[in-house]
Amino acid sequence: MKNFVEAHNRVKDFDWEPSYAAKPVRYPTRYKIPAKTKDPFRHLLRDYFSMEEEKDNRQYGALEDALARSNAPARAERRWMEIMKVALPVLNFGEYAAMKSTGQLIETIENAELRQGYMAQMLDEVRHTNQEAYLVRYFARHAADPEGFTQAFKFRGANIFNRAGRAALETFFVGDPIEGALNLQVVAETGYTNPIFVAMTEVAAANGDQATPSVFLSIQSDESRHMANGYSTLAAAVSNPDNLPFLQADFDRAFWRQHAFLDPFVGAVYDYFQSNRSSSYGEKWNEWIHEDWVGCYIEKLAPFGLKAPRWYPHARERMQWLHHTAAMFAFASWPLQFWRFDPLTDADMEWFERKYPGWYGVYGAFWKEYGKMIDPRDKMVPLSLFQSLPPLCRVCQMPCVFPRPDMTTMRVKAHAGKMHAFCGDACEFIFDEDPQRYLGYETFYELYDGCDLADYIRKNGLLRSDGKTLMAQPSLDDNKMWTIDDIAALKIEIKNPLRELVP
Amino acid sequence: MSEAKTPRDFTYIKPRKRRLSEYEAVTCYTQPDPEVFDQGGWFLRTAEGRTAWRKESTRLRHPHWFDFRDPAALWQRTYVRMEAEQERAIERAVEDAARGGAFRDFDPVWAREILGAHYRVWSFFEYGLFRCFAQAQREALSDTLGNVFCFAAVDRMRHAQAIVIYLMDLEGQIDGFRDVGGKERWLSDPIYQPLRRLAEELMAIDDWAELAVATHYAVDPLIAEIGVSEIVRRHGPFHGDAVTPLIISTTERDRRRNAEWTQELVRMVIARNVPDSAANLEVIRGWVNIWTARALEAMEALAAVYARIPKACGTFAEAVSRAREAQAALAAGIQPNLGKAA
Repeated sequence: MKNFVEAHNRVKDFDWEPSYAAKPVRYPTRYKIPAKTKDPFRHLLRDYFSMEEEKDNRQYGALEDALARSNAPARAERRWMEIMKVALPVLNFGEYAAMKSTGQLIETIENAELRQGYMAQMLDEVRHTNQEAYLVRYFARHAADPEGFTQAFKFRGANIFNRAGRAALETFFVGDPIEGALNLQVVAETGYTNPIFVAMTEVAAANGDQATPSVFLSIQSDESRHMANGYSTLAAAVSNPDNLPFLQADFDRAFWRQHAFLDPFVGAVYDYFQSNRSSSYGEKWNEWIHEDWVGCYIEKLAPFGLKAPRWYPHARERMQWLHHTAAMFAFASWPLQFWRFDPLTDADMEWFERKYPGWYGVYGAFWKEYGKMIDPRDKMVPLSLFQSLPPLCRVCQMPCVFPRPDMTTMRVKAHAGKMHAFCGDACEFIFDEDPQRYLGYETFYELYDGCDLADYIRKNGLLRSDGKTLMAQPSLDDNKMWTIDDIAALKIEIKNPLRELVP
Repeated sequence: MSEAKTPRDFTYIKPRKRRLSEYEAVTCYTQPDPEVFDQGGWFLRTAEGRTAWRKESTRLRHPHWFDFRDPAALWQRTYVRMEAEQERAIERAVEDAARGGAFRDFDPVWAREILGAHYRVWSFFEYGLFRCFAQAQREALSDTLGNVFCFAAVDRMRHAQAIVIYLMDLEGQIDGFRDVGGKERWLSDPIYQPLRRLAEELMAIDDWAELAVATHYAVDPLIAEIGVSEIVRRHGPFHGDAVTPLIISTTERDRRRNAEWTQELVRMVIARNVPDSAANLEVIRGWVNIWTARALEAMEALAAVYARIPKACGTFAEAVSRAREAQAALAAGIQPNLGKAA
């Protein structure tokens, strides 16, 4: 078969308009997408299978062979390995949600070119879901401390950060399919996969973790095709001026939803869990999000009437503090988590001050105090440094402490007989657009209000296999391991900060 | 207290066999569910008020859809490896046939009437099924189910594309052979309208389990069996065609696999320990009846294609009788006493 272009044209001619049985409208969309557009995916399945098979062989081969025999993950920096316990399960749901998103797009978007691209992406997303679950299991087998990896997919269902991750990633497939594509392909894949799958591999490798780069770079080789899907979808949407008013609103919302979770989370993973330090998340963000995504990619769409996301300037301004605040919240609430935390050293703090001038003045005191609270015999947890836990945002599920606890943009308001907190203008605006989209669940505090911290830990199985030592620890010091008795003795109640506020 | 041994594998998945398989490890519980580990419900609703997944996406009821296991234990790597092998086999067969001059042996009427006119139309039917399964994977109520639907969708697209590529190869190998008019036949040739109607009715199914049962208990055993296996694969060798049967045998391998997981799904929901097993059984039998009737109707129209086979081996009625018998035996296997513990 020589004439590839002709073959491709013929396989795009499968679509027809049903006339015998009406297909139900399964995923309503407001968008009008032209039936013919640019082609994002110029592969036949035959070529696709052989290309992906080869990539699989290379990646799984590397993991199964040299890296496993040398037990490489056991020698990686433990600080770094700990955060993979929470980062990989979040990411994994992103892939799984993406598979569902492409199913919706295949169903809804009557455009043969785009549909071919979505089909390959659908199978790619199964690939990534499998690869990341494989990596979690690989770490369960090889990491110095497997606890947490062995139950990561269970723990993610209750964990406060994993919940926020799920909230952000449900946007990929719960809503108008094009809105899903904006969240998935245009913002998350085109904007954020570079800092996640490319930049983070540098940190992983520098910290002795060679398995993650093998997997992530193999994933990223598929992502470039997904970015092409995103661009073609977006180009198709902007080509009809009728779409523009809601396209801009959906795009604004998509950017904010992804930013509100990904930047504080990925930033904390990146900066607070590297031991052998290199670049900062702030630097990578400027390179990939500000210069590349907004500066080049979104700019190119300006002639069609699409503007940079409405809350982008605000997001950029927050970037100075965002993930430092998130990291502080994560470390302060360590007993709620399922991984171990390594206190910052003086050298770490110098690095932070160098990379983020002004950092020490805001956060230095917390880290000094945190370092004094790692020994269970001192009977102190860093939660005691704060008056109460912060409320969680009704929309993004992140703690309402941003950009900084001393200058938070949090607001609380009543709706339908209940009080709801919002992390700032954007999430409140998004809620007000259509409140019913965000009210069908209970927040972490609604689930656990009044629960003793030790009971929370027991109920969620956050104990190691000896049945008494906590899964999470405030340090990597094996001689200062906290047990459930240490936590129970503190009698800390999980309290819904909105409990006493009456609508 | 002696220190318990720290596990070195996932502890939240109940393996089907003694040990956790690689398939289970990379698949199970990748789909979240508020009734499993994900506390507090879904965070987002659509403007119309629906959540990420909905129990009412199928009429079948099961207390834990995550119990389902694909009997072929496929995950992406093993699926892609298998399909890559199948496509390589096709590519090599075509290449060897071209080099060895085997295409010269093709009966020209066979090539024109059966491959060019009939087999090409099949690519549209397969494409319709691709669309059905790609949508159904979105709704299936567990990861192990979502993945088999996804792979089934890709199977269909693979076959559709393989037909197109193959016919292009034939254009280069058989004098005067042209792949033209396929879409017109699909859209308006009276012979194929019952088939198109069937594809569109399948596309209108709004229940992912019904789609699997309809396709793998009725449509494939009758329609694919007659339209592809009987008419094309079985008759190829009588017309000097040793290549097309090989392509079809790769799709029959996919078909067997898809039939097996569907049978496993049926066994799981009618197992005696499932609270709604009796109701599930009734629903499934209803589906099989409806779709068998529809498939038979589309199948009858293929008699006209059968009549165009230059050297028919047996009659259409005999072929139909074989297919009906096998399909009836398959349907008769839907028995509660065969249901094993899920």
